[in-house]
Amino acid sequence: MNTIKAVFGYTFREHVRHKVWLSGALFGLILLAGGLVVSALAQDERARMMLDLGLAANEAIALVSVVFLTVHLILQEVESRTVFLILAHPVRRWHYLLGRFLGTLAAVVVGLAALGLAHWLLLAAFGWTGPGSYLLAWACSLGKTAVMGALALLLSLALTSEAAAMAFAMFFWILGHFSAELHFIAGKSGNALLRAAILAFSQAAPDFAHLDYRDAFGAGLPGLGWMAAAAVYVLAYCGVCLALSVQVFEQKEF
Amino acid sequence: MRPLAVAAACGVLVLVADIPLRGGAAGFPPLGELPSTPFSTQDAALASAGLRAAAADIAWIQLLDYGGGGLPAVQDPPGRPYYFIKDLTLRVVRLDPRFHRAYLYGAGILGWSRGMERPTEAAELLQEGLRRDPGEKLFTLYLAALAFQKKGDTDRMIGVLESTLDDPGAPLTMRPILANIYKSKGEYRKALALWELILDDERMRDDHPRAVSQIADLKALLKGKGPQS
Repeated sequence: MNTIKAVFGYTFREHVRHKVWLSGALFGLILLAGGLVVSALAQDERARMMLDLGLAANEAIALVSVVFLTVHLILQEVESRTVFLILAHPVRRWHYLLGRFLGTLAAVVVGLAALGLAHWLLLAAFGWTGPGSYLLAWACSLGKTAVMGALALLLSLALTSEAAAMAFAMFFWILGHFSAELHFIAGKSGNALLRAAILAFSQAAPDFAHLDYRDAFGAGLPGLGWMAAAAVYVLAYCGVCLALSVQVFEQKEF
Repeated sequence: MRPLAVAAACGVLVLVADIPLRGGAAGFPPLGELPSTPFSTQDAALASAGLRAAAADIAWIQLLDYGGGGLPAVQDPPGRPYYFIKDLTLRVVRLDPRFHRAYLYGAGILGWSRGMERPTEAAELLQEGLRRDPGEKLFTLYLAALAFQKKGDTDRMIGVLESTLDDPGAPLTMRPILANIYKSKGEYRKALALWELILDDERMRDDHPRAVSQIADLKALLKGKGPQS
């Protein structure tokens, strides 16, 4: 546990001091200000537009940050040989991996929280009172970010190329928003084998439509059962990716 | 515990949690149901990035531009104003089925804009709204107003529309529409009051030039001089 904490601590500090993280936070603020300007065109839907654009901007910034930071996370330490120094100590590989992942996620969460707070204050200044919960929308974005982080970590270790890992991470991000379309295509397919393959593929890919609560504010708050299932989904999906990452990492020879 | 066993156990949990989550938090219709418009690529790109509500917001601004007569990508056939209003409204509400105001905006123009006479399409939009976004009371009221219009009972139609005017969910575009209906019925004072309200509303800046001209016309009519333009 102490090793995880130590790795977590130095990873968190490393990221928060990194210019990518700071640029991400700054760019997020610029996007929020942009949403403020564009929403003026929406007549009486200004608050809704500020809400949607702000939440989308926060999520986009969190996604780019988490993928960029996670993909470099282990590969850079392997390239710079820093990983030898760490693993020469009594540090178990899964402790190292988990500490690195959680430290990165914590840094992104801090950025997401700061942007979320700025956005919420902006909405409050415009008198926004939505039917749903801003905190839940924020938590769902965080869930998507965590899943993408875990997936990007697995891809970076399995593919050993930063560019390929980033490209595949983006591919899964897009695929994750097409689950309804994949099921639609599977339903239309006359070939049972193809249908089974499409369904298996869509099941294996993360389904981000589950967590798109920020797009469903008008529907009000979902039930506790839904929230619990969403939390289990995020944690379990991260668990699959992290366990597979550990498996790949433990087989690596340095 | 072996990592692969942990991955398998978590995989089972993913499948179990997936069942109550099916249909998504938002329950959006598939992208295939979007009407074909010059903006299909834009919609698909935004939706694929998981930005459906934001895509609906941008589609809403484009719908407002079209309603205001200024969307270069969509040109009406000669003599057929607002020819694409239904498709552009369907685009917004199929990107985000809970965009109440878009249903009402499209239905308001189709049902009551001058020279439109497309109440059937207006009713279709509102019925889609009732199906996909139940609970919005204005859909039923607009449908009732359309039914009165079909029966030729203009007074009751106006009564229903008047009752919706101050509702925060009602589209602003219904104000000039209702003002025109008042004017065509000779109720100049009511029309004048409504145009003055429009002129005082900063959100309706695009309608201000029209409001100024209508107010001048109505004042002239009230003085018995006939319209200025």
